[in-house]
Amino acid sequence: MTMNRVPNPLIASLVEDLAPVAPLKRRNGWLVALVAVGATVLGVGLYEGLWQAALAGNAAPIFFVTNGLLLLLGLAAAAAVLSLASPAVGNRQDAPKWATAMVAIIPLTAVLTTIAAGHAIADLFDSRSMYCLTSGMLASLLTFAAMTWWLRRGAPVSTGVANLWAGIAAGAIGSFAYGLSCPIDSVEHLGVWHIAPVALCGALGRMVLPRLTRW
Amino acid sequence: MIADESTLARLMAQSQAGDRQAYTVLLTEAQLWLERYFRRRVAPGQMEDLVQEVLMALHHKRATWDSSRAFLPWLAAIARYRWVDHLRRVYRSEEEALGDHDAAEDSEEEAVLARMSLERLFVHLPDKQVEAIELVKIEGLSIEEASHRTGQSESAVKVNIHRGLKKLATLIEKAE
Repeated sequence: MTMNRVPNPLIASLVEDLAPVAPLKRRNGWLVALVAVGATVLGVGLYEGLWQAALAGNAAPIFFVTNGLLLLLGLAAAAAVLSLASPAVGNRQDAPKWATAMVAIIPLTAVLTTIAAGHAIADLFDSRSMYCLTSGMLASLLTFAAMTWWLRRGAPVSTGVANLWAGIAAGAIGSFAYGLSCPIDSVEHLGVWHIAPVALCGALGRMVLPRLTRW
Repeated sequence: MIADESTLARLMAQSQAGDRQAYTVLLTEAQLWLERYFRRRVAPGQMEDLVQEVLMALHHKRATWDSSRAFLPWLAAIARYRWVDHLRRVYRSEEEALGDHDAAEDSEEEAVLARMSLERLFVHLPDKQVEAIELVKIEGLSIEEASHRTGQSESAVKVNIHRGLKKLATLIEKAE
């Protein structure tokens, strides 16, 4: 196969530099992601305390729907990041797009029910709005770091979407974890102040990560 | 003839384990594959640099290939990434315009190669963007020359290149 070719000095030097490597396995990426989820929930539990009424099943249904969808979105986006870290033509990531669309129903519902009730959009602000927004974002830091670390180990070639999904995974998991401590279970509060961190972290991923994940 | 997918995958798995003999063969085969892959989409004088860049990327990122997956789609994705990067950097080539550098095709592999080809990226772009990128970034014409050749204004050529390259970057893994 390789006969009669002019030797390439670069190839000789790359071969000289060759050392065994441990292939990047997706299951290890999952381990990293799940440790980040677990550690974030634990951190929120220790710092804020989890909402005991919800754990006993006494929260409004929307509490479980919102946090369940946030967790699923976080996992779907994390799966996309793990996949995009290993390049391949044909590597399509549609699952997190659908998960994002499903989560987007919640803020739309919040806005619609607010308007339908004859309230102003400004009424979506409540005493815990900003606290929940910032807490959700702070709780996303660990997953953000884990996703960034994995992308840096990998070779993302679809960098725009990889960075976006990394931010969304972090925001969704952070907001899910923090959400387990928040006792406000109205659709208006959850739909705006627990979903906004996802959008903001996604935007942050697009803006901040390119310089960290470019190779 | 360039080695097939299964041979390349086996060589890559051995290379990840540190087998230098397998790695020499793999890189030599990858070089040939890349030269064929980039044919007609890179000015001949820039081909060698681009192939070397991809070989270095293969070396530095060799851990990111998972032996449970195919090797060539992995290499093609890296090649596309470096190619788009290369097009962004090239403003005016000192080289002559591309001629017909076709070699005899290995028909067996054509179908597989075609799915991962650079042409697959271009079919998703409007004709005007493709034309602007081909003339300026691949053939090495100036913006002014491309404007005369296409009948587009100079600013339209620039905008079409900018938008086209942006779109290409989003298609690296998707277009097949």
